Amino acid sequence: MNARPLWVVLPALFGAFFLLPLLGLVWFALTDGDVAAEFGDGATWNALRLSLLTATLTLVLSLLLGTPLAYLLASSQATWARLAATLLDLPLVLPPVVSGIALLTVFGRRGYLGDPLAEAGITLSLTTTAVVMAQLFVAAPYYIRAAYAGFSAMDPRFQGVAYTLGLSPWRTFRSVTLPLVWPALAGGAVLCWTRALGELGATLLFAGSLPGRTQTMPLAILSAFESSAGLAGAVSISVVLVAFALAFMVLLHRMTTAGGAYR
Amino acid sequence: MIVRRVVVAILVGLTTTVALLTSACSNDEMQLRIFVASSLQDVLPELLDAYAADGQTFVTQYGGSQVLATQIELGAELDLFLAANLEQMTRIQAAGRVQRSTVFAANRLVIVVANDSPITSIEDLAQPGTRIAIGAPDVPVGALTRTALDALDPELAAAILENVATEDPNVRVALSRVELGEADAAFVYRTDLAAVRHGRAIELPPSLGVPVNLYIGAVIEGGRPGAEALLDFLASDAAQAIFANAGFQAAE
Repeated sequence: MNARPLWVVLPALFGAFFLLPLLGLVWFALTDGDVAAEFGDGATWNALRLSLLTATLTLVLSLLLGTPLAYLLASSQATWARLAATLLDLPLVLPPVVSGIALLTVFGRRGYLGDPLAEAGITLSLTTTAVVMAQLFVAAPYYIRAAYAGFSAMDPRFQGVAYTLGLSPWRTFRSVTLPLVWPALAGGAVLCWTRALGELGATLLFAGSLPGRTQTMPLAILSAFESSAGLAGAVSISVVLVAFALAFMVLLHRMTTAGGAYR
Repeated sequence: MIVRRVVVAILVGLTTTVALLTSACSNDEMQLRIFVASSLQDVLPELLDAYAADGQTFVTQYGGSQVLATQIELGAELDLFLAANLEQMTRIQAAGRVQRSTVFAANRLVIVVANDSPITSIEDLAQPGTRIAIGAPDVPVGALTRTALDALDPELAAAILENVATEDPNVRVALSRVELGEADAAFVYRTDLAAVRHGRAIELPPSLGVPVNLYIGAVIEGGRPGAEALLDFLASDAAQAIFANAGFQAAE
């Protein structure tokens, strides 16, 4: 029996499983919704701007704070490091709404740090800061996980050689380690940014939904869905989000593949 | 060979899942499929118990009226739709899916605050620094809230709107803000207070015309017999007593 046709048909069907709903979404929006109006709508732009700003901030923070963390955990053989790496995966499993509640239990006004924060004059919940914190909690583990895997898979002898050649630790990291793990970091960064862009549950719980301040695109879509505009309205805004996410992902892809020739 | 075995395993898994899913959708003629607005979630089980028609069983799906109406517009199979506002009914009526509809209950807008809150009146909501949760403008509870605020002194209304910290997609989320202490006050329905452990209601001044939200039930075109009888029951004295007990008002 020749199994080859099955091997062409199955992946093709699987590909269609992802493509068709996206095409359906766009088609539905173009026929039933009013995508042009959403593109011209100030509220949609506000939500989009907030989304792009917060997701990018989340990515930058993940890169700056997550890379050393992943490197530290990957270079340590200690049990605590493995345990910590496992714990950092936990937000990937939690339903985002639970992550939102978890953030509230610590950083909310009645959270464990609520009183000290209030005394310092800091309110986090229902603010734009909370949007970034929610995205960071949910999306950064995607980056950390990828970076951790990249650093773990690296042969430490490369660095050893670099040291014997007299390179400084920073120079070693930049010229030896980074080029080796770059694909893993870039892949993790894309995952992190896109997950942050799509974050809904944790943001709703921890940051609320106020246009211009905390209402990101997913929240605007949720509001539209629950409104009289209903499905058509929600789908129209979704198409705007999909269009921008696609453009940015193409851009990110270009940047990261260009980085494949990292020197 | 291993790959082929994996493929077979996946296919078997998929077939089993599909078979399980389809068998779950049984075609029992005595089963009524009801779509129910979330705000009726706490009272409906008691109503169905009291109804207790012979052999009648129920499958209920709860959700926001808008979401349910969308599913109905898109062809969801059901017999009875209990919506939390008239607008959604108009939508599915336009889609030609309503056989008969009846308004059966009403719900009053109130302000909910924490038990230990210093807030005692709607005027207190204008205090700078107060954090208020309301429904988004297009969500029924949000629209009703704005109608109520419109009837206030414009300066007071503006000061209250200035304090809005979040415009939530549904009333339960707004309510949870007060329970979690993230908001000092929220505009919710009277009946939502049953779900609150540490909150109390502040009634709106009568001068605002006591904004109410109407509940309407629709027998779906081509639905199973039994839907009509259940809808009639919801308007009966026995059902109205249960509604009143849960904080609802009579429709008139």
